[in-house]
Amino acid sequence: MMIHRVVRDLVTSKRNFWLAAKSLRVVEDCNGNLEVALDPIGTKPGDYVVTIGISAARIAAGNPKITTDLTIGGIIDYWDEDRWHG
Amino acid sequence: MKICQVEGTLVATARISGLQNRRLLIVKERGSSGKQVAVDPVGCKPGDWVIAVGSSAARDAAGSKDYPSDLTIVGIIDYWDDRDGRAES
Repeated sequence: MMIHRVVRDLVTSKRNFWLAAKSLRVVEDCNGNLEVALDPIGTKPGDYVVTIGISAARIAAGNPKITTDLTIGGIIDYWDEDRWHG
Repeated sequence: MKICQVEGTLVATARISGLQNRRLLIVKERGSSGKQVAVDPVGCKPGDWVIAVGSSAARDAAGSKDYPSDLTIVGIIDYWDDRDGRAES
């Protein structure tokens, strides 16, 4: 699992059937690389989150048929920029 | 399996129900600077050197096939001198 920061939400009206109506977020890692993650919790931009990758992402999404390889698993209570980069 | 050192615990109150109330730890993989988050079914202290499994083995190691983990700690290394088998320098 990785630590990411939520940048903004992402709207895609035309999408794969198995992505259904799940909400998506653009997240960045400590080096500023952007990725898209599925968000089953409801996060705000600026939140630090734990993201789950690979096949566990599909289970975390609530249904193993959902086609995702990155799912947000939780919002971190206390985190700051220094601990992220240090 | 990866050799990692435990940095500390991670508190995430708002989490998906699948993660249950398992302990999450911040770990640093040996030889890399990036931090990762691992599920800890063993009970580690900060500073411990541990072995962690990834991919689908991480799900089994966390207790069940349906547990959404991609990195799970499976053991604490009794003796680890970090000068052993050093890849860099």
